[in-house]
Amino acid sequence: MLLTDDPPAAPCPLSLAAEAEAALVLQLQQGSETAFRTLVERYQDRIYRTVLALLRSPEEAEDVAQEVFVEVYQTVARFRGEASLSTWLYRLATSRALKSLRKARAQKRFAYFTSLLGFDNAVLHEKPDHAHPLALLEDQQQLRLLLEHVARLPPQQQVAFTLRHEQELSYEEIAAVLSTSVPAVESLLFRARQTLRKHLSPPFRHV
Amino acid sequence: MSKSALRPLSDEEWQDLMRQLRDQPRPRPRPFFYGRVMARLAGPPARAVPFGWLRRPAYAVLLGALVLALSGDDKALSSTGPVPGAASHPAP
Repeated sequence: MLLTDDPPAAPCPLSLAAEAEAALVLQLQQGSETAFRTLVERYQDRIYRTVLALLRSPEEAEDVAQEVFVEVYQTVARFRGEASLSTWLYRLATSRALKSLRKARAQKRFAYFTSLLGFDNAVLHEKPDHAHPLALLEDQQQLRLLLEHVARLPPQQQVAFTLRHEQELSYEEIAAVLSTSVPAVESLLFRARQTLRKHLSPPFRHV
Repeated sequence: MSKSALRPLSDEEWQDLMRQLRDQPRPRPRPFFYGRVMARLAGPPARAVPFGWLRRPAYAVLLGALVLALSGDDKALSSTGPVPGAASHPAP
């Protein structure tokens, strides 16, 4: 007996996901508000957490996360699909967060400069440095110290570390977000870990 | 400070710290995030004011001082002595 009616091969979940994503992008490009709502609800937590990890301020993170989705809405017509949707979103989020960090640092320098000159410019007063809410929740000294040192890393290392250890992205995904190669990501992470481990001393333990 | 306090984290300690970082509760944006994004989209677009930075007093003062210094007027204004070659009294 010949078995001619073999069951069809199960579709690959990855290709299904890619197809679903392509369909969502198409709907977004056609101006579908439902598709935009789906996109926001699917990615808002990841984008917010990424931005929060870099900015360490819930208010600023919310603001930047909103900006990311506004930019997506306004520019999705130009999205050609060279990168995946999530890569594009992470790229927008990290670049906007770094821009916000640069702006905050420039304002801090300006406030310091004007304070030296004796100008009383209320708009430029230094903002309070918020502790990372995760660290506040648990009050873990070592974690807080780690996050403080992460904030002092060079921007590319900071983004790579955050995407790897807080967002748990693969090396390939991080390389796509940073528009670089996997060995370059490995190098960024190696240097980041080396710096952090050097600055973190082991916690004191009672015996 | 003892030497042990300055030693970097061991592999085990580092892995433990990374595990703690991963196991933290995951923060989320406040409820109705989508509504706020839509409100932002519906709002008027932010317009960049040309030379907006000049509205900041410190920048304005610095720019004024820079213009004065480069034009050389500051020397003319601050000099109190007679201008060389100019007579203090008209010739009879």
